[in-house]
Amino acid sequence: MKGPDNGAQSVSLIEWRDEFSIGLPDVDHEHREMISMINALHQSLGSDADAGRIVAALGEIHARIALHFALEEREMQKLDYIAYLDHKQDHERLLDDILDIMDTAEAKTGYDPVNFGRRLSKWFTEHFRTHDARLHRWLVGRN
Amino acid sequence: MTLNPRRWLRAVFDALEALCSRTFTAPWNPLLQLGSLGWFFYWVVAASGIYLYVFFDTGITRAYDSVEAITHGQAWAGGVLRSLHRYASDGLVAVVLIHLLHEFALDRIHGKRWFAWITGLPLLGLVYVSGITGYWLVWDAAAQYVAVTTGELLDVLPLFGEPISRNFVNEVSLSSRFFTLMAFMHIAAPLLLLLFMWIHIHRHAAARVLPARGLGILVVGSLLALAIVVPAVSQVRANLDIVPAVVGLDWFYLGAYPLVQKWGGVGVWELLGGTLLLLGLLPWFPRRPTPPVAEVNLLNCNGCGRCVADCPFGALSLEPRSDWQKYAGEAVVNADRCVSCGICVGSCPTATPFRSALQFTAGIELPQLRLVAMREQLKESCAALAGHDRLVVFRCEHAGSMDPELRRNAAVQQLPCIGMLPPSFIDFVLSRHLADGIVIAGCAENACFHRFGQRWTEERIAGQRDPWLRARVPRERVALSWVSDLGAFRGGLAALPPVSRADKGVAMPAARFALRHWPLPLRAACMALVLGGLGGATGVLATRPAWHQLGQQQAVIRLSIRHATAPKVACKPLTPQELAELKPNMRREVGCPRERWPLYVELERNGEILYRGTHPPSGLWNDGTATVFESFRVPAGPQQLVVRMRDSGREQGFDEMQSGTVDLKPEQNFVIEFHSNQGFSWR
Repeated sequence: MKGPDNGAQSVSLIEWRDEFSIGLPDVDHEHREMISMINALHQSLGSDADAGRIVAALGEIHARIALHFALEEREMQKLDYIAYLDHKQDHERLLDDILDIMDTAEAKTGYDPVNFGRRLSKWFTEHFRTHDARLHRWLVGRN
Repeated sequence: MTLNPRRWLRAVFDALEALCSRTFTAPWNPLLQLGSLGWFFYWVVAASGIYLYVFFDTGITRAYDSVEAITHGQAWAGGVLRSLHRYASDGLVAVVLIHLLHEFALDRIHGKRWFAWITGLPLLGLVYVSGITGYWLVWDAAAQYVAVTTGELLDVLPLFGEPISRNFVNEVSLSSRFFTLMAFMHIAAPLLLLLFMWIHIHRHAAARVLPARGLGILVVGSLLALAIVVPAVSQVRANLDIVPAVVGLDWFYLGAYPLVQKWGGVGVWELLGGTLLLLGLLPWFPRRPTPPVAEVNLLNCNGCGRCVADCPFGALSLEPRSDWQKYAGEAVVNADRCVSCGICVGSCPTATPFRSALQFTAGIELPQLRLVAMREQLKESCAALAGHDRLVVFRCEHAGSMDPELRRNAAVQQLPCIGMLPPSFIDFVLSRHLADGIVIAGCAENACFHRFGQRWTEERIAGQRDPWLRARVPRERVALSWVSDLGAFRGGLAALPPVSRADKGVAMPAARFALRHWPLPLRAACMALVLGGLGGATGVLATRPAWHQLGQQQAVIRLSIRHATAPKVACKPLTPQELAELKPNMRREVGCPRERWPLYVELERNGEILYRGTHPPSGLWNDGTATVFESFRVPAGPQQLVVRMRDSGREQGFDEMQSGTVDLKPEQNFVIEFHSNQGFSWR
């Protein structure tokens, strides 16, 4: 297994960045909470985690993100958000990606937390920049 | 084998449902939407009724004339609508009764589902009251029969001060206002029915109140065809001076009426009361353990509301948060409504077997079937499978018999409803190579025991409802089975390429196994046959077979007396002492105790006693009138009649008497009355 060997997991899997902010205090707060929870889960693995534990922790992260998306999607549906389906497809894409990464870890073909962190960050940055920003603009325009 | 009527009935319904699904297709299968068909018939009856009401006139002669004018004067509007009104009412009775049997056969009445059953019972009564008052309004021979027999039926109940049958002894006794009352009741009862229909479906989330559009069109088409081929018409005008020997009866509504003549009113009420009591007790007999209800785990619930949206019984709601977490809401289970189907578990985003290796709890779970236990059990059972056609079968416990082929090389997981299965379990089994194929085996198509389990599962797999089954899960390895025969699916599994982790698929429906429809021409012919048969049967049963309430050479003698008998104690002047004992405002010179003697009546025909009876005065103080209302079927022809009455305290002899020879014509309604100023009169 290709994995951490020098305590790389003690640093955060994903850091909150200002560009993640979409300007809705509640939603931003929820996003921040979720990211710190993801980090806490990931950090609890320690540096010598075996594949089973890694997959289990990723499974929890997956479930947490799915739960968060479900709430966000409900809000969008309640508001009849015009680009709901696009937005949801992007959520599903991330959930699929995490499951793919879990598969790789499970198959012991390798798990690289730095790479995982990078992929998550990239997805969040991209998602906040595009879909969440669009939602934000739509909400502002609607009000 | 024990005799279990429910099981036999279920087998009959299963066979009929399968036939109807092949003929009508599952979405149009009338047996799977009996409730909504009932609503549909109700609206047809209501709409046609509103039109008829515009032209209906209340009054002894005007009622019949106005209905005749509607029927023949505007045959293509009022005539057709009158027929629709009648036949849709008959359809309503038919689907309500079949619906009742169906829900009983499928055992959808136990536990928390008692509510719809119990609230359905008053609907039966209201449907009948609505229909029977409608028949009354036409005021033809059938209406007369209904009025007289309903009178006899109601008179055995201690509801009215004096027999209401006395209103129908002859034309003189009948008032036009009576039709106004009937018209009012014929409107009030259906409105009350609507209220109860609403209560009846109150605990069903997204209750279906309209059938599939295609089926609705077929039903209206059939009703129209029936209305044109066998138009509903009135029988001869009611005439209270005769008792029509032969009456055409609508057996849907009046099926029990001949029993009134055979058993008497008391017997019929005993039958009805006993049946209702038995039906009312059914949800609790035999007693069964109630499974524990769903439990919310707040650490895994952020109030996303998916379980609330998916619960078929409205047992979940979002309520303000009760813990420290900063979410707005949380799911709350209403234990009185939760039927423990687990559909909420299948909808929860955290209900995924990909979570922690050892322990996890989803936001909502069934205590009796925890997901973590289900996952471990699956892993264990799958370890024993071998080859390239290993199956995991997720099976609804209400599904019919299981194909033995599905038990070979398969791990079977039973669920209270197929909707309890979180789609991620399918992903888990296939992506972890625990098996080569998945079979999701539920109730027959569109016949989900818990209403929406089947539909939600199909939509979740097809990516149309949350949570989606992951797009890349190979759908050719997943079979949704609403039938038991899956040989083809299993045979094909071995030939499929191995599950690849790299494949990126698109969300699409799974392979679906349901009863095959017959080819369209055959289906169309069968549909025509079924609808024609049902329509024909309705057309026939709406008036035939005719009921012979009287032999051709018979007449009826009715004794109809309402009379205030003599006071038991004669009036006498009060002594000063007696006067002093009375309150000042009640003092009068003559004291008249109120109690009266009972009335004794004898009727003799050709020297034989036909009737003798003692009738107490009415009222709490026995100071009211005594009433006699009795009917006798006798051969027509000349006969010697004697009627005698004792209305005083005498022990022998009679106070009033009349005798004579009368020549009764066949069907004659011969009424003997008594008026205190004229004595007996008969005609």
